[in-house]
Amino acid sequence: MADLLRIGLSGLIAFQRALATTGHNIANANTDGYSRQMTDLVARPPQGSGGGFAGNGVDVQSVRRLFDQFAVNNLRTANSNSGLAGSVATFAGQVDNIIGDPATGIASGLQDFFNAWQDVANNPGSTSTRQVLVGQAQTLASRFADASTRLDNVSTELNSRIRADVGQINNIATSLAKINDDIVNASGSFSGQPPNDLLDKRDALITQLSQLTNVSTTVENDGAVNVFIGNGQPLVLRNTALALSTVPNANDPSNLDVLYAGTGGTTVITPALTGGELGGFLKVRDQLLDPARDQLGLIAIGLAQTVNSQQASGLDLRGQLGSAFFSVAVPQVLPRSSNTGNATVAATVSNVSALTGDEYDLRYDGTNYSLRRVSDGSSVALSGVGTVVSPLVAEGISIVVSGANVAGNAFRIQPTRLGAQSLTAVISDPRGVAAAGAIRTSATVANAGGATISQGEVLDATNASLLTTATIQFVTATTYSVNGGAPIAYTSGGNIDVNGWRVQVTGAPAIGDTFVVQANTGGVGDNRNALLAAGIQTRGVLAGGTASLNDVFGGLVGTVGTRAQQANVNRDAQSAIASQALATVQSASGVNLDEEAANLLRWQQAYQAAAQTIVVAKTIFDTLIAAVRG
Amino acid sequence: MRVTTSLLRDVWLQALTDTQAQLARTQNQVSTGLKFSRPAENPVGAVQVLDLQRALSESSQYSRNADLATNRLGVEETTLASVGDVLQRLRELAVEANNATQTNETRAGIATEARQALDSLVQLANTKDGSGNYVFSGFSTQTQPFTRTGTTVTYAGDQGQRQIQIGASRTLADSDNGAAVFQAIANGNGVFTLQSAATNTGTGVLGQRTVTDPTQYDRGTYAINFTSPTTYEVRDAANALVTSGTFAPGQSTSVQTIAFRGIQFEISGAPATGDSFQVAASRNQDLFTSVQNFITALDSGASNPAGQASINNQIGNFLADVDQSINHVIDVRAQVGGRLNTLDAQKNINADVDIQSKSLLSDLQDLDYADALSRLNLQLTGLQASEKAFAQTQGLSLFNYI
Repeated sequence: MADLLRIGLSGLIAFQRALATTGHNIANANTDGYSRQMTDLVARPPQGSGGGFAGNGVDVQSVRRLFDQFAVNNLRTANSNSGLAGSVATFAGQVDNIIGDPATGIASGLQDFFNAWQDVANNPGSTSTRQVLVGQAQTLASRFADASTRLDNVSTELNSRIRADVGQINNIATSLAKINDDIVNASGSFSGQPPNDLLDKRDALITQLSQLTNVSTTVENDGAVNVFIGNGQPLVLRNTALALSTVPNANDPSNLDVLYAGTGGTTVITPALTGGELGGFLKVRDQLLDPARDQLGLIAIGLAQTVNSQQASGLDLRGQLGSAFFSVAVPQVLPRSSNTGNATVAATVSNVSALTGDEYDLRYDGTNYSLRRVSDGSSVALSGVGTVVSPLVAEGISIVVSGANVAGNAFRIQPTRLGAQSLTAVISDPRGVAAAGAIRTSATVANAGGATISQGEVLDATNASLLTTATIQFVTATTYSVNGGAPIAYTSGGNIDVNGWRVQVTGAPAIGDTFVVQANTGGVGDNRNALLAAGIQTRGVLAGGTASLNDVFGGLVGTVGTRAQQANVNRDAQSAIASQALATVQSASGVNLDEEAANLLRWQQAYQAAAQTIVVAKTIFDTLIAAVRG
Repeated sequence: MRVTTSLLRDVWLQALTDTQAQLARTQNQVSTGLKFSRPAENPVGAVQVLDLQRALSESSQYSRNADLATNRLGVEETTLASVGDVLQRLRELAVEANNATQTNETRAGIATEARQALDSLVQLANTKDGSGNYVFSGFSTQTQPFTRTGTTVTYAGDQGQRQIQIGASRTLADSDNGAAVFQAIANGNGVFTLQSAATNTGTGVLGQRTVTDPTQYDRGTYAINFTSPTTYEVRDAANALVTSGTFAPGQSTSVQTIAFRGIQFEISGAPATGDSFQVAASRNQDLFTSVQNFITALDSGASNPAGQASINNQIGNFLADVDQSINHVIDVRAQVGGRLNTLDAQKNINADVDIQSKSLLSDLQDLDYADALSRLNLQLTGLQASEKAFAQTQGLSLFNYI
């Protein structure tokens, strides 16, 4: 009887345990990262006798969690990808909103500005049309500045998100190191039984980490897990967490780098962080945000320089050559933080149509300078030596180095980064708009020949004699002199270039015919320069004369839009893959309440049956006692 | 595959979020009337929209430019028409004054009217447009182009001609400068001029002058000297004899033609021995000077037949000059008319571009409401069905039966 009682008791204990596990499962049905647990039962070793082996009841072998390591690894990879795609999509969407938002209005601002030039061309003498133009210039400049500020805010937000993610990674790493310790101690104390809930907690933390960055793991024999990030840099080794931190980029302090404090010293691991949310932040910053700021700056600089130089070729209402319309920052040069010596580098835009909107690194090896494009690492040909007389020139920028440079020094050159932000309309007096051409020409009314003179154009507005009156006189029908100088052979329609202007005389002049080129003083109704300025909108002023301001802006909208579209598609795809991976993990580890209800009934019934065994044992015993008494 | 309770909920939530996102997008489309509102939704379309919007803005700017040019050319056209009328009246006066029955007194009367005509011409030449800018001063639109000092009229404007952009690659002059309109007029018959010497004592009056062969006339200066009342010789600037001939003198009934080097002209009356007439190449002479010469001739008065002949010759010169002026003004008017036609044509082109761009823009970004609304209904129905299904599956649990 004792056997039956013991067998019944073993069942009661085992089924209580199983019921507890089921209850635990039900209680954790909604716990993140929880894996359902199962009670493994085994039959006790039988007791042998001459009559064969008699069963001894049941034992609880272990409580284990149902867990598919392969599925979980897949989920972590999918999480990294989805985290990356998600953060890229979020920020690409923000950049897209800023660039593509009609309210930002770069495109309509450009349009309004050049339309205002057309209106000035329609009535150059009117102060009111000029006032409108000055107003449009100010509006346009502030639109560029607004868009730039909004992009700068995105950059600031990216930096703070990077900082926050790094902080979170560090917290997770610390927790993981602690849990590793707990797990090793726990499984050591209970002869290798798995501490299921601790394991779940650790796995959940690693999965959470995989959302932030790409991670890989190895498991040690005692149950500790080592976690690696980036290119295999250990983040957690058993019970030690290695810390990440953020530092300003050595080349461009406005961007943050991630610093890894490994066992062999600290290194920047930013380029290795290609996955997860953090990887997404870095990617969107380097591949979308910074290029967008540079392109916007390129348009701003293109606008400012082209309009200013057109303005300088014309006369304003006061009869003076036009002064600058816009001011815009010179290229930004950032010395690398590790530079030594006192060398400083100044860059200017020497040829706006050759500007690319790229960033460059200028390096010095002790004798020579080399220039490298940051985006693709390609080297860019440099001419000149870097002095004021012979500056280093490449892709529209001209670089002057002063002070003593030291080998190994490097400078980050961002020709257009500050362009949009710094664009300001410096013109405030409407009379300052140079709508008139600088020179005008006239044929003397008494000329006997039939030759005519063109209206003339300004080739070099800086020529000191530009506005000096010049007389072209025909010494014979085939030669002319300028201001009584040496005779020059005449070709009908040929260019006559003097004092920075160019005119053409066409037709058959008579001897003694004269033509006068003079300053366009009083030419308040002249609109030639205004028409040329209005034409800047569609003229190819950038990309070597192949792209207009509108083209470049359209290109920017297209690029950003395409990137944002791709990012959205990626995010949707990756999030579907991550959901699928989660479903697979859940399929093994998730709690199904119906299943648990069935188990509950099963163990309840088994428990009742085991209890009944004890009742039967009691009854048998009672029967025996009664028989002996009787 | 084993389905778990939380997965069921997650899958449903995901589906619900997706459907709601689609619904929000459709709602946004319906409320804005646009197929897409961010470049990310259609990057290629967004760039095309930018281009089309620019094209639209430009074409409306060009139309505005063209309207302004039309106004200004309209002012110029009207002014030139009035100038033509005044010149025509002056021509009538000249024909009247040339009549042999005129006396010094009647000519003085004509001179009074001619003076008024000159006033009108100067006024017309100083016309301003609606914005207060001088029409005929070239670029110097704030400078009064023509000023009278005594008997001379001087031009203070310049020879600039303003162009207005009326199409993407089309500019058009919206004015003509005063020098081109009023000054660059060849005097005489446009090729040569005739003058009678002030010292002439005979009554030779110059008549019809024509160019028979333009290639032969070398733009030189020639003198026709009457060596006797019946003989003349033609000498060039170097005093070399070009030709000579005989002349049958008589009063206005007798008209004789002298021809040499591709030009010919008529002389009537009776030149005296030693009388001389000069041929010179035409030069530009402003029409105010021509009119002033006419007035001077009218005012000069004649006390003998020779004086009368001199007046007739001067008036004859003026008739040639005024014909040139009239033709010149007609030419300028024709150019202005041509430009007005071009403007009309260009306005039509701009309107076409406008319509085309608008239609392209509409195809590109305007929402097909029928499509969008049926999609909206579909999405709403889907959302409702999904919500219902969730509520029902959530109600299912084995625990209900325990």
